[in-house]
Amino acid sequence: MTSPIIELQGITKVLKGQKEPRTILDGVDLRVHAGESLAIVGRSGSGKSTLLSVLGLFDRADQGSYALAGRDISRLPEGKAAKLRSSHYGFVFQRFFLLKHLTAAQNVAMALVNGQGWLPRRERRARVMQALEQVEIAHLAKNRPSRMSGGEQQRVAIARALVREPQILLADEPTGALDTETGTLVIDALLAATTRGCSLILVTHDLAHAGRMGRIAHLDKGVLTERVNA
Amino acid sequence: MIRLSGRGRSALIIGFQGIRARKTRTLLSMISLFLGVLAVVIVQAGASIAEKATMGDIELQMGLDGTKQLSVPAGERSTRIVLDAVTGRPDAVAMLNTRAIVGEPGVRPVNEGGGPIGEDWGVPMECDDQGNCTEITTGGPKGQAIEMQVVALTGDVRKFRPYRQSSGEWLDFTTVPMMAPRLVLNKYAAEAFEQYRVPAEMRIKGASANLTPQFVGVVDDGGYMPTAYVRLDELSTWLGTASLSDPNSGELQVLLAGTTPVEQVLTSKLKAIGQDAYVDEIKNREDMAEQLQLMRLVFLSMAGLVLLIGVAGILNVGLATVGERVEEFALRRAVGTPRSLLAGIVLAETLITGLLTSAIAIGVSAAALKAVVTVLGPSEPLLRGVEFPVDAGVAGIVAGLIAGVLGGIIPAIRAAGIPIATVMRA
Repeated sequence: MTSPIIELQGITKVLKGQKEPRTILDGVDLRVHAGESLAIVGRSGSGKSTLLSVLGLFDRADQGSYALAGRDISRLPEGKAAKLRSSHYGFVFQRFFLLKHLTAAQNVAMALVNGQGWLPRRERRARVMQALEQVEIAHLAKNRPSRMSGGEQQRVAIARALVREPQILLADEPTGALDTETGTLVIDALLAATTRGCSLILVTHDLAHAGRMGRIAHLDKGVLTERVNA
Repeated sequence: MIRLSGRGRSALIIGFQGIRARKTRTLLSMISLFLGVLAVVIVQAGASIAEKATMGDIELQMGLDGTKQLSVPAGERSTRIVLDAVTGRPDAVAMLNTRAIVGEPGVRPVNEGGGPIGEDWGVPMECDDQGNCTEITTGGPKGQAIEMQVVALTGDVRKFRPYRQSSGEWLDFTTVPMMAPRLVLNKYAAEAFEQYRVPAEMRIKGASANLTPQFVGVVDDGGYMPTAYVRLDELSTWLGTASLSDPNSGELQVLLAGTTPVEQVLTSKLKAIGQDAYVDEIKNREDMAEQLQLMRLVFLSMAGLVLLIGVAGILNVGLATVGERVEEFALRRAVGTPRSLLAGIVLAETLITGLLTSAIAIGVSAAALKAVVTVLGPSEPLLRGVEFPVDAGVAGIVAGLIAGVLGGIIPAIRAAGIPIATVMRA
């Protein structure tokens, strides 16, 4: 078996600043291989988003280790973390966070114009169009978010996450603001990325969507338990 | 050509996108900043024009910076030495003074003594070599004649004192001398002749005959006494060197280029006859520097205060904009944008705003000045030929840059500190 792209060991995160410190993540162990899809489910407040923050290098664990492709990145300074986020990770959020003054193509290009290397305009445009084609909305490239449906907007957000060809796609409730049918199309788009070797970690409340992932992990009071999907 | 780094280019692209997305806010920032930058540009332009005008007037009377002025007590021997040394040289010009009455024959001038027209300077005095002075009595009734100082020149003095031509032409030293001396009047003399239109006979003490002068032009020489300039070789046809060396005419002046060997030759020869020549190098700018600096500082301080209000405006709008864009900045951090670039984006926006405002303020000031010069220039000599000073433009750009940095730095720091978790918990 190949070594995992993500390996968490004993990740613990404690929320301080209250009367009593609260343990949000309690010794989480997790391995994700390239091309795998994993759903993380759990009740509100169970620590799903915090785990995704640690996975996405938005936040640091208080204890434990985090290895990316065998390299320990638990204590990475912010500058290097930003570089890794740009090169290895793609993010999709519940709210689409599209900039309303930009077109779909410009919103996708935002991930390329981020100070981590410079691409000439022609190459940038080609990669943007390729990402939009992957989520089947290339024809909406020049539309602004206000002229797109929720599902289309979320697919623009997915294209933005995919445009740098990340190795890991982190999705936080990406269907939370969509109807079931549109949500299914969004999950289709996310799963399509895994066929190209990208690992997908999906945080969701929707068990139907979770069921479409290769693995499901359940987070309860900061403790992660996992079962392989049938 | 300066090539921007990837981060620099990213900051500019995103900065421009931000400005385009918030046109009204940008406009509000620009309005508050516009007055500040305009104040700086106007003060700088005003100070430069005033400085130029002040320096211009001083240069007319004293000479251009770097010119050396050699003063010799008037006397026949010293005059002869000076003329031998400077005649025909382009790097030195001697100025010999005498007095003349021009106008109606046989009358006393309206300004006895050669003072300004309309001012009574009392009875003129004449002194001998020993310093014994007596009243000059020209006799005859007062009539239509002007007494003035006549400055005889060995060459074109304007390379040392840039007299402004008001009308006609300046003396031509390349032609054969004429029997009827050509005179260029200063504006006070010209005004006097405007007032007293009389047959022009020129009486000079010591001349072999009364002359018939030709008026060829009028200049502004910065002086306030009626004066006429004449070629020495045209005057000397009628007047011997002894008359041109009259001690009552004051000192003999020689204007020299900074590097000419004439200075050493003259001082040595004059010393040999027991005359000490006093040499002074013209340093108008240095002499005026402190005074001009103080004036500029006072006005710039006032403009700085107005600019500060503009900075407060841009800062206010900048902070409000960052507050509105928290999610955007958090998202940008999530996709790998470093904090420094986020700060750079905000700074780029305020700098672009500042520079745009500067450009507009400079354009408005330059256009306004051009309009004022076009409308008022013909009647106001001070405004003639005035152009928008380059340093005012530079000051405007610097003010715009400073305002951009000062107004953007706090919003930039705030933008860089927005936590990524903002997008997770939204």
